[in-house]
Amino acid sequence: MKEINLTVNNQPYRLSVPPRRTLLEVIREDLGLTGTKEGCGLGECGACTVLMDGQAINSCLVLAAEADGKQITTVEGLASGDKLHPIQQAFVDHGGLQCGFCTPGMIMSAKALLDKNPTPTEEEIKQGITGNLCRCTGYTKIIESIKAAAENMGGK
Amino acid sequence: MAELSVIGQRVPRVDAWEKVTGQAKYAADYSLPDMLWCKLLRSPYPHARILNIDTSKAKKLPGVRGIVTGKDFGGWSWGWMPATRDETPLAVDKVRYMAEAVAGVAAVDEDTAEQAAGLIKVEYEELPGVFDPEEAMKDGAPKVHDYVKNNISVEYHWNFGDVDKAFAESHIVREDRFRTARATHGYLEPPAILAYYDPTGYITVWASKQSPYFHYRHLAACFKVPLSRVRVIQPFIGGGFGGTKNDSLAGDFCAVLLSKMTGRPVKYIESMEEELATSRRRHSVIVYSKMGVTKDGLLKAIQHRVVADGGGYTAIGPLSMYLNGFMTTLPYKLPHFKFDAYRVFTNNPIGAAMRGHGVTHTRFAAEIQMEMLAEELGIDPVEMRMRNAIDNPKPGEIYETINKVTLKTCGLKQAIKEAVEDPLWRDRDKLPKKEGAISWGTGISGSSYSGGARQMGHQACAAIIRLCEDGTVNLITGATDCGQGSDTVLCMIAAEELGIKLDDVAIKRVDTAYTPVDPGSYGSRVTILAGQATQKAAREVKKQLLETAAANWQVKPEDIEIRLGEVFVKSDPEKKMPFIRLARIACYSGTGAVIMGTGYSSYGIEHLDLTNGIGNGGCSYSFTAHTARVGVDMETGQITTTDFTIASDCGRLLSPVQAEGQIEGGAIQGLGQALYEDFIMDRGKTLNPTFLDYKMPHALDVPNIKLIDIVTDDPFGPFGAKETSEGSIVSAPPAVVSAIHDATGIWFKELPVTPEKVVKALKEKK
Amino acid sequence: MTTFYRRLPKFNYLAPDTLDEALSLLSRYKGKAMVIAGGTDIIPRLKRREIGAPEHVIDLKGIPGLDNIKYDVSGLSLGTLVTIGAVETSAIIGEKFSVLAQAAQSMASPQVRNRGTIAGNICNAVPSADSAPPLLTLGAKLKLVSQKGERTVGIEDFFTGPGQTALADDEILQEIQIPHPPPNSQGIYLKLTPRRAMDLAIVGVAAVVIPQDGVCQDIRIALGAVAPTPIRVRKAEAVLKGQKFDDALIEKAAKTAAGQSRPIDDHRASADYRRDMVEVLVKRAIKQAIRR
Repeated sequence: MKEINLTVNNQPYRLSVPPRRTLLEVIREDLGLTGTKEGCGLGECGACTVLMDGQAINSCLVLAAEADGKQITTVEGLASGDKLHPIQQAFVDHGGLQCGFCTPGMIMSAKALLDKNPTPTEEEIKQGITGNLCRCTGYTKIIESIKAAAENMGGK
Repeated sequence: MAELSVIGQRVPRVDAWEKVTGQAKYAADYSLPDMLWCKLLRSPYPHARILNIDTSKAKKLPGVRGIVTGKDFGGWSWGWMPATRDETPLAVDKVRYMAEAVAGVAAVDEDTAEQAAGLIKVEYEELPGVFDPEEAMKDGAPKVHDYVKNNISVEYHWNFGDVDKAFAESHIVREDRFRTARATHGYLEPPAILAYYDPTGYITVWASKQSPYFHYRHLAACFKVPLSRVRVIQPFIGGGFGGTKNDSLAGDFCAVLLSKMTGRPVKYIESMEEELATSRRRHSVIVYSKMGVTKDGLLKAIQHRVVADGGGYTAIGPLSMYLNGFMTTLPYKLPHFKFDAYRVFTNNPIGAAMRGHGVTHTRFAAEIQMEMLAEELGIDPVEMRMRNAIDNPKPGEIYETINKVTLKTCGLKQAIKEAVEDPLWRDRDKLPKKEGAISWGTGISGSSYSGGARQMGHQACAAIIRLCEDGTVNLITGATDCGQGSDTVLCMIAAEELGIKLDDVAIKRVDTAYTPVDPGSYGSRVTILAGQATQKAAREVKKQLLETAAANWQVKPEDIEIRLGEVFVKSDPEKKMPFIRLARIACYSGTGAVIMGTGYSSYGIEHLDLTNGIGNGGCSYSFTAHTARVGVDMETGQITTTDFTIASDCGRLLSPVQAEGQIEGGAIQGLGQALYEDFIMDRGKTLNPTFLDYKMPHALDVPNIKLIDIVTDDPFGPFGAKETSEGSIVSAPPAVVSAIHDATGIWFKELPVTPEKVVKALKEKK
Repeated sequence: MTTFYRRLPKFNYLAPDTLDEALSLLSRYKGKAMVIAGGTDIIPRLKRREIGAPEHVIDLKGIPGLDNIKYDVSGLSLGTLVTIGAVETSAIIGEKFSVLAQAAQSMASPQVRNRGTIAGNICNAVPSADSAPPLLTLGAKLKLVSQKGERTVGIEDFFTGPGQTALADDEILQEIQIPHPPPNSQGIYLKLTPRRAMDLAIVGVAAVVIPQDGVCQDIRIALGAVAPTPIRVRKAEAVLKGQKFDDALIEKAAKTAAGQSRPIDDHRASADYRRDMVEVLVKRAIKQAIRR
């Protein structure tokens, strides 16, 4: 077992985990934050995307032990109370989701993108979400949602 | 049509908040204290006899609580029809496809279950396999099942009109062989279940099922418990698209049986690789298409001989093959049609349903072949389609095809007209044709799909609306939203009918213990049929409310109107009250009333005639005209799709945002099948069971999509709605292939059109 | 495969604080340990049981200084923890070693690039590794260290077979050293994939050219995914070296490169297609490099 300290959505956790446990397993099973999804488990679909020290990563490819001392943000950490994060609100308003399974990861990738580049072009938006598959929407409304979020957040 | 307050508004999904905050719970997100984890052991051979299974070593592993094999299910088998119950929860004597499940383990955690599965020793006698459906039909081919001849799992022979005479009279007749890919649904949520068989004999499961009542019946039959004791509680579903999530899986049956054996809840989650290697995917279909036309390009006859790779079991194959044929008489006038269909057992994974079920194959073939004929005749592809397109029947009239499919509305001609007026098509000659190695092309297609599909057995959707004394309502239905947005649409229908705000309608997920029985989410049926049921239930509630208000104001019920939460007398607007007040009066009248309404759908009560292919397979039909622009790299064969324009007659769009999402999403799944998606098989083994190599489109691969609504207001569907989700997945591949032809001069008849196929064809052309 | 695993196999996790400690662990557990940097390649392969589980996983990420991108008189050096994303966005790499930045940009997803490392891509040694052809054309050298000392191996000598390298059981690739390219050299990386992203290369081609007054002063061409290892194609380079660029000669060089490739048939493409595409991509890469 390995002792680790994690900060998830500003909440500190001290955990003892088996070395082979992934960050995704810890988030979902040990912390009960099931908003982060497991799609392929191989880093090919992006459903498990979270931010680690501000960077989008596939939490299925990271050992929990490797995340020791890191700041993690999951989809549950975006809204403040009842107020949705502007990216979440844009996905709601522009129909950027259907089944919702890719949505948490997609929103986290969008957040990583807009944090770095508040005024992305359409091509940059597409580049920013290449690691996230969506099978329902055909991406059109997701791209519209991210564009709208960028505008609402002050990027122009 | 009366003025509408809710229907047609661009509203967000009713479940959007849960989904963007991560609060929406999917099957894998549920856990119970003390639960065990299930893992399956699967076959390493595509065709083999099971000689012995030794579980002793696995049983001894600390943490293992139970192991099941095929024999533990007591010989129970299942299938879509009584005559085709050829599948068992786990293989018993023989495995018929690679990675068919043979044993299930329950252990205290998933790591232990995985380790234990690896300790089960199965002795096999490998049998010769057969992997090509045309080989499998030949005499002497290895037999996958003993109960059929020549491995033919399903066959139909329909003959409408006189094709021989029609071909003899045709100006040109073409014969071509087309083939569609081994495509799969590609939802991102792998199938999962949490099952609890409690000691009193109730089965409760949280399972990712887009049609939970199939599962409810399967569990009742398999475990011999009354339906009233099977409770499928539906989580959110991470995409469905037909097939696997309509059916029950080995993991489902094992989780329930292991729960029964251990007395503890059991959770099972399929790995995505496992899902991709074993999923009930779209059939790969060979279509031998023969088409005859007059010198003016009018269709005389189509003859289709269809051979589908059925894989190891029948599953929903009888319906798949029916759907391959019955809509070939749409969307063009066709006087003569012959259809010979063979679904053939092979030692490949099972062929089953997928969005655009059946039609994707034969419409692709017919659409491309019609363009080939237009080219031979020197007729413009748009003109060719306009000459043959079915006209929109006048109000009150019906168009009937030769196989007695009936249309009350058909917006195809209008759709083609508007699609080709769009700059993408209109200005195609002004855009560059060649830039460096890239050759550009524009293509067009037409399609049709049925909405409100029929099945065998129970096929009505139902709804219950319960009025709360604060003026809000609960909408209770057995219909499943697996992502398509039907919960939103049904709530909008309820709000519109009742005259209340959308926010005042609450809907929860299906729970077979409380919600009314429903066939399921397939065949574009939910909006039309559950929509009709919802409409009826709402009207029943409204009737009771109007009577209360009428008594209150001493007027007739028909003099009262309710709109957006306000109740008023039409002739005397001074007499008004908020809906909440009326609700209170109604609920508190006398000793207290319970205001509820129920309804079930009555559309589509004719029985499905699979054997003869006569009659409707659905209630109404969507029509789509689809144009596409592609750039083909003439040296590497890579294809870029820049634009789609899709003109769809989906009747009236009840919830435009949701409908657009369906059309866009369907078109991109169709793009995947046109260009990228295919399981590469080697003697029954899937070589690409990962999203790295089963190539679904990413954001960068997607064209700009422009949608055009053709509103026909079909008298069948609620508020004039038809289907929205399947037309564009049928229209996309032929539109893209037509565009590739425009760019390269080559007709591709096998999907997907990969870069390598393009280069090979260009070489051959030289 | 008869069981599809969702969980990782058992191993012990070690996170040394210094390189010496890492080397000592590696020497102690020789043959039983696996080094991870980003883990984006190893974790999926362990999950799929494509590779046997090691007894120990030695994570280098706690060792300070290994993620440095250093640019000085001797050239560029990339520590073993430099991520693909860092290379993609580094201004100096974009300017002076553009061919490598182009390859970095073409790899996987933003999530994987944030995590995966160039050194990892090299050490995993899949024939399609995107960073390999650029490093071959840039003449990279690899500094390998063990408790016994250090040695430097040219990247061309590093790859010994599919998934196989010259790295010994007790060695770590500490640094990728890239000499300054001649000031007027131009590099292009082209990657052939069916989709626009997330695919492995069917063919990868890197070309670094030094053109002067229409003459090819020097040229280096390297190929990925068309041989058991990434390869340099010297015969093809020789066709152009010292010659005046013209279409026919470029064509000849491209054909020669195709002839030097040794692709295989697999589920991603046939050998014939791959060979044909080497010709197309080499031709394009040279022409684009000249135009830059």
